[in-house]
Amino acid sequence: MTDGPVVRQGAVPFGMARRLLRFGYDGRCMSLRPFTSESYSEDDRPEAWRDVLGSVGLQPTVATATHCGHATAVRRSFEGVVLARLSAGAQAVSPLSDLASDHPVVLLPIEDGVVLKTAAGHQIIAAGHLLLLPRKGSWSVAFQRDMRAVVLSVTPDSLHGRRASAPGLSDVQVVAPGGFSDVVAGMMDQAARHLETLPDVEWAALAQSLHDLLPTLTRHVVEPAADLGGGTATKAATLHRLCQTIERRLDDPDLTPAKVAVAEGISERYLQKLFEGTGSSFTHYLRERRLQRTSADLSNPAEAHHSISEIAFRAGFNDSAHFSRAFRHRFGLSPREFRQHEAERLAASATAAGQRGWPQAALAQLRSQSTASTARKTAVPDPADEIGHDLAAVPGQKNHHHLSANAAHVHWGYFSRSLKPQIEINSGDTITIETLTQHASDDPERMIEGDAGAESVFHWTRDVKNVDRRGAGPMDASIFGRGAGEGFGVHICTGPVAVKDAQLGDVLEIRILDIVPRASSNPDFEGRIFGSSVAAWWGYHYKEFLAEQNAREAVTIYEIFDHDDEPHARAVYSYRWEPQTDPFGTVHATYDYPGVPVRPATVRRRHGVLEGIRIPLRPHLGVIAVAPREADFVDSVPPAYFGGNLDNWRLGKGSTIYLPVSVPGALLSVGDPHAAQGDGELGGTAIECSMTAIFQVILHKKGNLCGQAFADLTYPLIETETDWVLMGFSHPNYLAEFGAKGQSEVYATSSLDLAMKDAFRKMRRFLMNVKGLTEDEAIALMSVAVDFGVTQVVDGNWGVHAILSKRVFEQPPLPQA
Amino acid sequence: MKHHLLPVSPKTVHWGYFSKKVAPSLTLKSGDRATIETLTHHANDDYDRMIADDPGAESVFRWTREHKAVVRRGSGPTEGPFIRGSGEGVGVHLLTGPVAIEGAEPGDVLEVRILDVRPRPACKACHAGKCFGSNVAANWGFHYHDLIEEPKPREVITIFELDTSGEPFAKAVYNYVWTPQTDPDGILHPTIDYPGVRVDHATIRKRENILPNVRVPARLHFGTMGLAPSEEDFVSSIPPSYTGGNIDDWRVGKGAKMFYPVAVPGAFFSVGDPHAAQGDSELGGTAIETSLTGDFEFILHKQADLGGTVLEGLTHPMLETDSAWSVYGFTYPNYLAELGANAQLEIANHSSLDRAMRDAFRKLRRFLMTVHRMSEDEAISLMSVGADFGVTQVVDANWGVHGTIRKNVFRCD
Repeated sequence: MTDGPVVRQGAVPFGMARRLLRFGYDGRCMSLRPFTSESYSEDDRPEAWRDVLGSVGLQPTVATATHCGHATAVRRSFEGVVLARLSAGAQAVSPLSDLASDHPVVLLPIEDGVVLKTAAGHQIIAAGHLLLLPRKGSWSVAFQRDMRAVVLSVTPDSLHGRRASAPGLSDVQVVAPGGFSDVVAGMMDQAARHLETLPDVEWAALAQSLHDLLPTLTRHVVEPAADLGGGTATKAATLHRLCQTIERRLDDPDLTPAKVAVAEGISERYLQKLFEGTGSSFTHYLRERRLQRTSADLSNPAEAHHSISEIAFRAGFNDSAHFSRAFRHRFGLSPREFRQHEAERLAASATAAGQRGWPQAALAQLRSQSTASTARKTAVPDPADEIGHDLAAVPGQKNHHHLSANAAHVHWGYFSRSLKPQIEINSGDTITIETLTQHASDDPERMIEGDAGAESVFHWTRDVKNVDRRGAGPMDASIFGRGAGEGFGVHICTGPVAVKDAQLGDVLEIRILDIVPRASSNPDFEGRIFGSSVAAWWGYHYKEFLAEQNAREAVTIYEIFDHDDEPHARAVYSYRWEPQTDPFGTVHATYDYPGVPVRPATVRRRHGVLEGIRIPLRPHLGVIAVAPREADFVDSVPPAYFGGNLDNWRLGKGSTIYLPVSVPGALLSVGDPHAAQGDGELGGTAIECSMTAIFQVILHKKGNLCGQAFADLTYPLIETETDWVLMGFSHPNYLAEFGAKGQSEVYATSSLDLAMKDAFRKMRRFLMNVKGLTEDEAIALMSVAVDFGVTQVVDGNWGVHAILSKRVFEQPPLPQA
Repeated sequence: MKHHLLPVSPKTVHWGYFSKKVAPSLTLKSGDRATIETLTHHANDDYDRMIADDPGAESVFRWTREHKAVVRRGSGPTEGPFIRGSGEGVGVHLLTGPVAIEGAEPGDVLEVRILDVRPRPACKACHAGKCFGSNVAANWGFHYHDLIEEPKPREVITIFELDTSGEPFAKAVYNYVWTPQTDPDGILHPTIDYPGVRVDHATIRKRENILPNVRVPARLHFGTMGLAPSEEDFVSSIPPSYTGGNIDDWRVGKGAKMFYPVAVPGAFFSVGDPHAAQGDSELGGTAIETSLTGDFEFILHKQADLGGTVLEGLTHPMLETDSAWSVYGFTYPNYLAELGANAQLEIANHSSLDRAMRDAFRKLRRFLMTVHRMSEDEAISLMSVGADFGVTQVVDANWGVHGTIRKNVFRCD
């Protein structure tokens, strides 16, 4: 026998490592605490968010309601040092009043400025400034738009009390960018970005460094807060409300103290007095907020398609020259120079090229060019105002409608809250909607020719392109030069259909009553049905080919036999993509822009492919969406909470999808029809085949959701005859999560592991809130009866779905008496 | 053809590992059949319902201060002092076998057909004839660090009863939160960290009337089936790998045929980890763990005969059912070879669905190109429009994604 110590030396590491084995991936992440509001029902969200804030020494400011909208956070701790990345909606935070600690909380606003309020007054702090916040006192930090911040919390116990000798802090201090504070801010920002992936050792080193830098930073006070006079708590609360009102109405060029005073029910004189009490004035504050808004928008990639004057106008500047002067005076650069400067800064940190959608680097290029020519009318008033009498629904009647596919009835490659509805329908109405596949141009002879609707949509000659915008990109194609919209989004969507009375918070139920493929109208192929599948550059396989030339795109044309006993598809021929010159003369070396007609003479058709293979049909719609609320033009490729490019073949005849309504009228659009697809959609597309579907659309008002399976819905929920199918995504609301960068970031950071987590959290929520189970019951049931599958790995925002069989909750028939 | 019987006993099981070094408990010829009993390693979560008065189960689980019937549990150290016990629980599954196949050599493929699967009824008088299983939301579950209710974290055991009177289903009987348990050797187990520790029901609080009105459709299957790998003598039973093992696919039930590449002479097949039902992903860490007995048929396919068959070029486990073929992708297809000397521990630091998806894609592409003679372009087009990828499990360290292609795709004029 060996003696004790020797054995112990061998056994201990093994045992510890063994624990790692059982803890699985979390062995690495014991200190990592992710948070998403998606785990919680709406009622539980304020409390859950309060806990998140509490973990970094903050709490919601009493005067404001606790945030209950979409929120995500990543926190990682090391022996008392906590670094957090917070992303949520507008709100104000205050100290948790931890009297035991004199170490300040360090807060770095990373996208937009904040309004700092102390007992003495308030001050506007731009993004990139570090705020040193004492853990007691009556200060608050208000995020007027979205909250995006990195927070560092160090307590005296951190690192086992290793003395950081931070000087006590009684007042809030603001450290302007430059020198040392840039280093600290940069480190916090970078560390926060990589919280999930840093190995323990590296994270520990970072946490210690941040801990050690803090005392120096605390002494490094550049500009003491220019406190603006005293006020009681009531005054502060009133002032806060005034500020919020101003924020909402910044676009009003004629916003006067009188208007704001009336809106808030106080006298103009009192209003002026409140602002004077802060050492400022209404006029000064308003101008500062207008300028801050424009500077945020000018550095926002998602606003790149708006001209400078548009942005200025939206912030209430109705005189360009005046705006330019004021901007230069405030920021030291003209708006154009500022935009270019920001663009270059972004370019430096751009993500790798080769991803779909908005590339940050290319956005930067775009914004360094003139943006005036890209200006387009984007803002359309409330859709309901614009609907002609012939389109308006007749109240109280159940009608059947028909929306054909033609150039006037489609939007191509994007969703938009600003689109004018094609038609308005009542809840309960049925509607037939024709949809076209954007891949019809892969074989125009079979899928377009002779079909008036398809010809109208695809019509594109040297002089005329019937549907110009294809994608959410700039109309002048100044990023890649592919064409209007840049193909940032590819699907031909028919609609939008407005649903009468639909409002934010309602749920739209869309039943698919029938779906039939659209036959060829070319006399040579009369009555036959064709589809196309492209193994495209965005496919999952694309970076690891085995054979021959490395990267290639292959198009396979299929014929659909839907009247057979076993409806199926068979390959007709295939070809490798060859550079195609579109009618405007642009060459498309890859499949980078939708609807480019492929000229048969330019490709080599290979017949006899997939011989003997029959693909069982699964006719469905890849895209069913309501308009998202976050942005004007949203790329149709990444699916999210609003539905969109779900690519789940279970969304076929007899199924129902429930979507949360975000904008008035809901604005339903459908497209991307598929004859068959596998779970995963591996090569990038399904068998893309034009289809016509009949829907029944039912609106469930917010007040009537209680007790329904679709109450508390913040994601697309599919119901089939036998199952509930919940859709999880890498980033369930990427537009809210990443803000301005969302439409690029979502492509860069998708993973099945994230999507699996989202699907798990949603199914847990469904079982707890809809089925009334406890968390323990929900997890047991998920483990033994819920099937998780891969929806798709090609749409930017990857998907995992969770399938719950309805049988689980069905009771056997009662025994006959 | 001969029909063999392999009951459970301390001599016919090995606990928590695959091994080419364990003496076979049965040797048979290609074409032979065997009825093999298996026990769930979670039976001690409720001793009365799953062990008491069952001679086979009692003999395997017997553990007193003086006598531990199956000493080694896991591929860890077998000489003390121990942190958790002999084998240190590096691997947890009770496996029956190994079954040696005469003439099997590395490079061959072993086909295992599951002819029938039956639950093992309780023996104690008050539960006699009923069948029970245990589901554990454990510390290795996907949910464990993402809990929303207090206390956090916690492990929860749910006992199910299997009803086979009609369409078989399982109903929850009660659940309880794991409390620290002391084993007969005096070692305290604050979490579920060592298999076969009897839960003292005086220390737990049973909650009845849980999952009311919920009926879990039964999916009787074996979570762990496979052959001994060649790389190491003792290999943890937790991560699945190229010779199979803890695949945890509920489709591996009655009527299924599994194919495994043989890595060591004799193949050394073992089976265990019986499940009454499991969802794709096995989210909480376990299925409904229930002792089962199966009828198996073994067919050895010699390396020289594989060309031109569906087994040509097979280097990983593959499933055939009535309707489909499935290949199994893992984070690391052969983690023992890829991660080096410390692989059995290292694998847990690399768990990833993304890598498993990548592996499943490659394996299915290979299957279509090798077996069905497709070009790469054809294979990718077919996978996109006709193959389904699903999450097998996210709790076995080497996470799994399966790629499935339906047989009727190939049914041709």
